[in-house]
Amino acid sequence: MDDGEKLMERLRARDASAFEALYDRYHRLVFGIALRMLAEPTMAEDLTQAIFIKLWTKPESFASGNFGAWLSRVTRNRALDVLRSRASHAEDEFPNDLPADGSLDDVVFAKLDSQRVRAALAALPEDQRAPIELGFFGGITHEEIARTMAIPLGTIKTRIRSGLRRLRDELATSVSR
Amino acid sequence: MNGSMDHDALLDLVAVYALGALGASEHRLVTAHLLTCAECRSEFDALRPAADAVGMVAEEPVDSARSARMKERLMANVTRDLERDTVVPLDRRRSRSFLTWTSTAVAGVAAVIALFLAGSNQNLRSDLAARTNDNATLRKQLASDVRARQTERTMIADLVAADAKHFPVSGGEVIERATRLYLSMKTLPALPRGKVYQAWTLARGAKAVDPSKTFITTRDGAVVVALPESAANLAAVAVSVEPEGGSKVPTSTPTFVRPLR
Repeated sequence: MDDGEKLMERLRARDASAFEALYDRYHRLVFGIALRMLAEPTMAEDLTQAIFIKLWTKPESFASGNFGAWLSRVTRNRALDVLRSRASHAEDEFPNDLPADGSLDDVVFAKLDSQRVRAALAALPEDQRAPIELGFFGGITHEEIARTMAIPLGTIKTRIRSGLRRLRDELATSVSR
Repeated sequence: MNGSMDHDALLDLVAVYALGALGASEHRLVTAHLLTCAECRSEFDALRPAADAVGMVAEEPVDSARSARMKERLMANVTRDLERDTVVPLDRRRSRSFLTWTSTAVAGVAAVIALFLAGSNQNLRSDLAARTNDNATLRKQLASDVRARQTERTMIADLVAADAKHFPVSGGEVIERATRLYLSMKTLPALPRGKVYQAWTLARGAKAVDPSKTFITTRDGAVVVALPESAANLAAVAVSVEPEGGSKVPTSTPTFVRPLR
């Protein structure tokens, strides 16, 4: 169980000191993702506030696994909502996706931190890393990534898959060292 | 899912799904497919944690004033919330008061009831005051959100408008539409610790610049800033690197100075 998971357990018991510790530990991650996606500090601040208030009022929304990775996904999805509200999008609705089982990765992912992820991502070839980062932070679809990078759609899909597989292996290796 | 699509291509699509970069219609199709295909489901379970972890690279220091401000607001919310939790419900207070009433003399009844009512009223008044306070805060926040959304909509419309004027500068451009002015920066250099960017405006006929907004950028050096000044009377816009909190006069060589006419 990582620090985030432990703190979330205490949060379920309405422990304000756990909330404060959670903020101290994770606000840089939430604000960082929000700022990178929204490119506007005030909006990133608003989003950070909203995410933490949600953690306090609905701690049960986190079930288990690596808290930092889960929080990244939640922040990214909320930032995407903001981005979509900015643009008139032909497909403005993203249905909720399935939760990953992830049980095999619990041990690996409980030990992850931003430094390890940064190193693992940097170890990917540029042609795999770029579409993955664009897909996560850019708030655009794989078709838009293909257009942006002027690369055939099929190639982009394959690179994303190969890149994610390699990233997973790099992270597992980094944690086991 | 699609009879003409081979399964390997489908697995590629599952990877894009795990990253969260599918369009809505394909997203729905893959969601449905994962419920029935064990191989694709296993691929999704393998890749999704790695995809989720990508966000962790964005973790970076937040300037201390902003960090403290956010924390203060959040902890005030939490404290208010916990205070509400500790208010004893009215029903329970009545029940306890009733037990007390049966064990006291008749002469004390009036006093007990009076005290109980006074206590209840006091608690009710406190509850009401707290809730009125909360409502006022929520109303203020809503009004502020509405204003922010309106500003944002105006900004987006201005940035993409065909009649907007674009003035290229080092690292981005200055955009003017009607009397509104924006800095749309793509590649500003990274800021040293404790520094921010600050915009400056030069009014027509003026000999010195006036301080405008301070801002920071993403890790890649990107940011869009709406300047509060009306563009109508401005001759130029500049940006320089300044200490956190901003300066009254520029203290460094400007990153750029851009005449607007």
